[in-house]
Amino acid sequence: MSKHNNSVPLEYSTEENDLKIFGFWVFLGAEIVLFATLFTVYFVLVDRTGSGPIGADLFELKPLLIETFLLLTSSFTIGLGVHAMRLGRVKPMIFFYVITLLLGAGFVATEVDEFLHFIHEGATIQTSAFTSSLFTLLGTHGAHVSFGLLWGTAIIIQVVRHGINARTANKAFIFSLYWHFLDVVWIFLFSFIYLKGMM
Amino acid sequence: MTLEILFSPLKEPLILGTAIGILVGGIAMIAGITYFKKWTWLYKNYFTSVDHKKIGIMYIFVALIMLFKGGIEALLMRAQTAVPQNKILDSNHYNEIFTTHGVLMILFVAMPFVIGLMNVAIPLQIGARDVAFPRLNLLSFWLFLVGCALLNISFIIGGSPNAGWTSYFPLAGIEFSPGIQNNYYAWSLQIAGIGTLATGINFVTTIIKMRAPGMTWMKIPMFTWSCLITNVIITFAFPVLTVALVLMTLDRQFGTKFFAMTDGGMDMLWANLFWVWGHPEVYIVILPAFGIFSEVIATFSRKNLFGYGSMVASMVIISLLSFMVWAHHFYTMGHGVLVNGVFSVTTMLIAVPTGVKMFNWLLTMRHGRITFTTPMLYALGFIPIFTIGGVTGVMLAMASADYQYHNTLFLVAHFHYVLIPGTVFGLLAGYHYWWPKMFNFRLNEKIGKVGFWMIVVGFNVTFFPMFILGLNGAARRMYTYSESTGYAPLQMLSFIGALVLVAGFASLVYNIYYSIRYAPRETNGDPWDARSLEWATHSPVPEYNFAIVPQVSQLDEFWYAKKEGRDLHAGKIEDIHMPNNSGAPLWMSVVMGLLTFFFIFNQFMIVIPLAVITLLFMAYRSFEIDEGHHIHAHEVEETERRMRGDR
Amino acid sequence: MAELFPKEHVLGFIGSIILTFAALSVIWIDDISLIGGLVILWITALAQASLQLVLFMHIGETADKKALYISTIYAVVVGLLTVFGSLLAMIWGY
Repeated sequence: MSKHNNSVPLEYSTEENDLKIFGFWVFLGAEIVLFATLFTVYFVLVDRTGSGPIGADLFELKPLLIETFLLLTSSFTIGLGVHAMRLGRVKPMIFFYVITLLLGAGFVATEVDEFLHFIHEGATIQTSAFTSSLFTLLGTHGAHVSFGLLWGTAIIIQVVRHGINARTANKAFIFSLYWHFLDVVWIFLFSFIYLKGMM
Repeated sequence: MTLEILFSPLKEPLILGTAIGILVGGIAMIAGITYFKKWTWLYKNYFTSVDHKKIGIMYIFVALIMLFKGGIEALLMRAQTAVPQNKILDSNHYNEIFTTHGVLMILFVAMPFVIGLMNVAIPLQIGARDVAFPRLNLLSFWLFLVGCALLNISFIIGGSPNAGWTSYFPLAGIEFSPGIQNNYYAWSLQIAGIGTLATGINFVTTIIKMRAPGMTWMKIPMFTWSCLITNVIITFAFPVLTVALVLMTLDRQFGTKFFAMTDGGMDMLWANLFWVWGHPEVYIVILPAFGIFSEVIATFSRKNLFGYGSMVASMVIISLLSFMVWAHHFYTMGHGVLVNGVFSVTTMLIAVPTGVKMFNWLLTMRHGRITFTTPMLYALGFIPIFTIGGVTGVMLAMASADYQYHNTLFLVAHFHYVLIPGTVFGLLAGYHYWWPKMFNFRLNEKIGKVGFWMIVVGFNVTFFPMFILGLNGAARRMYTYSESTGYAPLQMLSFIGALVLVAGFASLVYNIYYSIRYAPRETNGDPWDARSLEWATHSPVPEYNFAIVPQVSQLDEFWYAKKEGRDLHAGKIEDIHMPNNSGAPLWMSVVMGLLTFFFIFNQFMIVIPLAVITLLFMAYRSFEIDEGHHIHAHEVEETERRMRGDR
Repeated sequence: MAELFPKEHVLGFIGSIILTFAALSVIWIDDISLIGGLVILWITALAQASLQLVLFMHIGETADKKALYISTIYAVVVGLLTVFGSLLAMIWGY
């Protein structure tokens, strides 16, 4: 079962690893539908604001730009982390992964601050159908990022302990797919919630 | 929340009786296992086993038990409506029973039965040693079982959901359904749904990546093809259910306004999301059955399947169309002509690929040497009965006519005419067909055939009258009716049919008992003279499935190898790498079960630590180093010798 | 040091920053029509997503390329059907 193939990167090198990467891509397909459904709910309810505020009242450019910049950069740094891993350079790899998680933590902190601002403006998750769907969609993405922080930490610990081998490389690579995917989701949140709402 | 409210359902004699029945049955089972000292054996060989065949058997076992629970609920409903103004059930109980009947039959009978047969047959059909993610597979099973257990204990603790299996808002909202009953609905479906989603991903990966060498796309057995399509639909449809149920939970337990009647909420959005998942779900339970019919009809006609390519193409088309028809479930919501027109057309389009499959099956049988075994009888019974279901489906697809049929017993008759011959007959055909692969004997053919006839006759007598009742205006989900409606004679006929149907299902259980005692044990792995690879290995199948992975060069490789006298397993036996068993899926599911239980009752101080424990289980899995184990070549050789009988 | 910053990734990152600012134009252009804005947003979002998938996630680097593309495209198609079908049923055609 564990036949080695030298023509592919280390993280694909056993049959089990290869299956895991493939399976994770299928899972990301399921995640695409999950976020599409939340977008559906948001788009259907976006104008149904009841007596609560509308999007244009809530959204601010500054936190949005900070969040976008943090997440885009973290997507870049984790890409560099995987690149370093493929070169077999364990220290740069860990460095880039740590930077990625720090940027991710910054994103979560900014988003929490932004949510507090929404609440301050009189928009809670219970205010109207619009705010319910807004908090749920942004919150689901934020929860994914937060979970990623825990997951990423577990992976960094394992790379520190065991170095780069077929097992840790596989986990680190799959985590990078997850992280890039969250960036892709953010692009759609950025475009179709914030920018469309501020237009 | 006082204990009195918690156990208030027990005040009803009927519920108390059920509770006592479950309790006595449960104690008897636990006592029996303890008496025969089987706990360790069960734990080691089944509860913690990552072997796909054993997981499949556990799924089918649970599905059969739930089939009986759902069946008894159905019988109670028919008994209640057998005569006008009957008093067996009051309205609330009737509501609870039709709700749980629907949920049970779709999600806790059809789904596990389908997934169980997939587990048993697919890795064998494609010549694999296991599924792609064996540990995840076991977790899927336990999550499904936890969801199932939650729905079942709702009868006793707190009360069952009672807003219909579709749980439409505003009825299912906190305003009209106060209490925790519908929280059970959201959470039992949620947790079982997550398990099913994992199964979908697992099998997509397995079928795409783990086929035997030489098994290219057009050489895959039809059941595996149908399950690939099914799992693709599962993977992309279940996230919609996950989201819908989260929103339901948020609305009911955290005061959000998604489906509310005020503050901009939109109650019909629930119906919309439910059916975005719900319609593909219909194809999830029916496509594997189509695959089973294809296998069974080809095997017992002694011919290769007619129109293999068109079979595959029609399933791919069905899988896409299944995501484009959902609004036909609520034509009467009041949206415009354009919407109803669009969904009407897409709905009718689905009849085309389905019709192609029908003709393929008929043409497979043409000039075949047909043997009338029990599985073949189910396949033959399916064709005409399902056609009635399909034709009435086209009637319902016409939006303007649907205003007449909507929410009447006509609709109930229609979907039972689709799901029983389609899904149930398919599953029973597969169950009889693969039974000797799971165990080393066949189910008794005579009892099987008698059971088939009772089920066919009972089914038609139960459900055909509902077409007429529905056209005469009898609404569904009504717990009683007055004498003057004139429904009484046909309702009584329907009840009599239900009794026959129950007797038919009981004969399945009797057949298990009878066959365990008297059926001759098989000596080769191919009792039906079948065509695909699962019959190329021994029965029961050894842990590693195939001592040597077969090389495939054509469709029905095993059949041609038999006819040409070739040995599919030529080669040298080597060490076989296998995954390790694990208790983690079971215990993680137990923790998640407790978590959801306390969530249902809004006990968040208990939910939080349980959520932390769940995360710790995930961390454990991340840090765990599990390289699996090897079965050495000499052990494999010894097993092979023993299985062949030359000890 | 330079080997740690491959050209592909650096250009990808610069590209994503540029696309972000291109998308931001919809709130800086006065009197932009809804359709015009949405066209800009769709183009920039899809370009960003493809950039991530291909340059950063290496979707096409193995022999499973075809299956992965089909799976991802299938998911996107189901997602779009859900979004636009629901909008049709619940808003536009109601």
